[in-house]
Amino acid sequence: MPRAKSKKEEPVEAGSDVVMEEAPPSHQPESRDDMSVDQDENDGPEDVEDEEVDEEEEEEEDVQRVRLLPGSTPTAASFEFLNEGHTLGNALRYIIMKNPDVEFCAYAIPHPSEAKMNVRIQTFEGTTAIQALEKGLRDLQELCDVVSDKFIDAKEKFAASASS
Amino acid sequence: MDYDPMVMDDAEAMGPVVKISQADSVRVKYQLSNADISFANSLRRVMLAEIPTLAIDLVEIEENSSVLADEFIAHRLGLIPLNSEGVDSMFFSRDCDCDGTCERCTVTLTLHAKCTGDENMHVFARDLVPTSERINSVLGNPIITDADGLGPLILKLRPGQEVKLVCIAKKGIAKEHAKWAPSAAIGFEYDPHNKLHHLDLWYEQDPKAEWPPSEYAEWEEPPQEGEPFDYDAVPNRFYFNVESAGSLPPDVIVSEGIKVIQQKLAGLIHELSEGDGGDGMNGDYGGPRSPEYATGADGFGGYTTPFGNGGNQSSWGGAGGTTPYGTTPYGAGQSTWS
Repeated sequence: MPRAKSKKEEPVEAGSDVVMEEAPPSHQPESRDDMSVDQDENDGPEDVEDEEVDEEEEEEEDVQRVRLLPGSTPTAASFEFLNEGHTLGNALRYIIMKNPDVEFCAYAIPHPSEAKMNVRIQTFEGTTAIQALEKGLRDLQELCDVVSDKFIDAKEKFAASASS
Repeated sequence: MDYDPMVMDDAEAMGPVVKISQADSVRVKYQLSNADISFANSLRRVMLAEIPTLAIDLVEIEENSSVLADEFIAHRLGLIPLNSEGVDSMFFSRDCDCDGTCERCTVTLTLHAKCTGDENMHVFARDLVPTSERINSVLGNPIITDADGLGPLILKLRPGQEVKLVCIAKKGIAKEHAKWAPSAAIGFEYDPHNKLHHLDLWYEQDPKAEWPPSEYAEWEEPPQEGEPFDYDAVPNRFYFNVESAGSLPPDVIVSEGIKVIQQKLAGLIHELSEGDGGDGMNGDYGGPRSPEYATGADGFGGYTTPFGNGGNQSSWGGAGGTTPYGTTPYGAGQSTWS
């Protein structure tokens, strides 16, 4: 992927039409010629491009999985989670809604074939949607801790009653 | 404001309760009460699809003169449950530094069988032999539970036929392929008397007479005669029946399931907090409301502007370069183009 992108950027810098240059596959040797010409003429942009490619590669390893959707205000924000679904969404919605400072919380999966989950949080004055989200995540973690401990207790109790 | 949350708070003041009613090597039945259906369902979904286990993922076939096609055998091998004890300390092979296989990310198993007698030969999972270095002595062993110690039947060979292959087992989750599912089935049930009317039971004359009662029906009060419908009621007790496919013991599936949820949450908390600059949360809202976004001066519209422009206004507070949206080819490229 990064390679393809860097190729696309080149014609833009040369001031030519990206789509027309890239479209026919038979043009590949030609575009390679362009590249060598570019290198001969000036090394500056080449270097910049290399850096960009590097940055892109780093990015792909470490993609930001939560982002704030445009149009958000401190107390009313929408978040987009990548690679999350009903598993997290519904439980998170529930736990955030439990927070007395939260006026409204809902989640949606806008399209089933996109691995995206949106959460809308509206809070009362005095707290922010981001704080509410973070509190929700921590509360849910605590709930998991409690259930985990309770399950281990129950297992031990069951084992004791089964052996006696 | 004081109707629904308050009612639920009272019920949940005690906190969640877990009671185990049956547990053995293949299944655990337990009741989770004072929890919300959303959490119970998260746990169910995670136990079904997101607990890492080990399964055969690559098969190199050196010799196959059996009647079955190579890919058919490869598929059957993938579905054989392998012991996944200790899979936690393995890497997903895509995250591993090694090139190809190492004991940190893969287990290699070999299968070599030739029918030399004059009767058809059966090849079982027990004939799969782990041959690589492993992080413990059981990880990757095929699960064998039958009395004869054979395991699942893989294929049959006529006299003279031979299979020789090398399998590479990797860590994975059932979301990617069902062969990695730790659980064979998960029973999930609540409200055995259907007091909440979440079910609309089909019937000819009388649903009560025609539908057998659930095994959990006696655990809960049956509805009183003429009892009015409680429209505030929410499900509160959940009956799980977790059946293991063999790769992990059933109680471990439950514990691991909770762990997977926690890892998800921890990952998100980490991501939210690592971007925070010194100016704290309040400064973070500059991004989405910034004038650049509203004007959309560049050709890239709303996608890059709130995050790509003005690094320290990025929604998570980090410097522009640290957020992926600040370093997109479009965002970073702007300096070059203009």
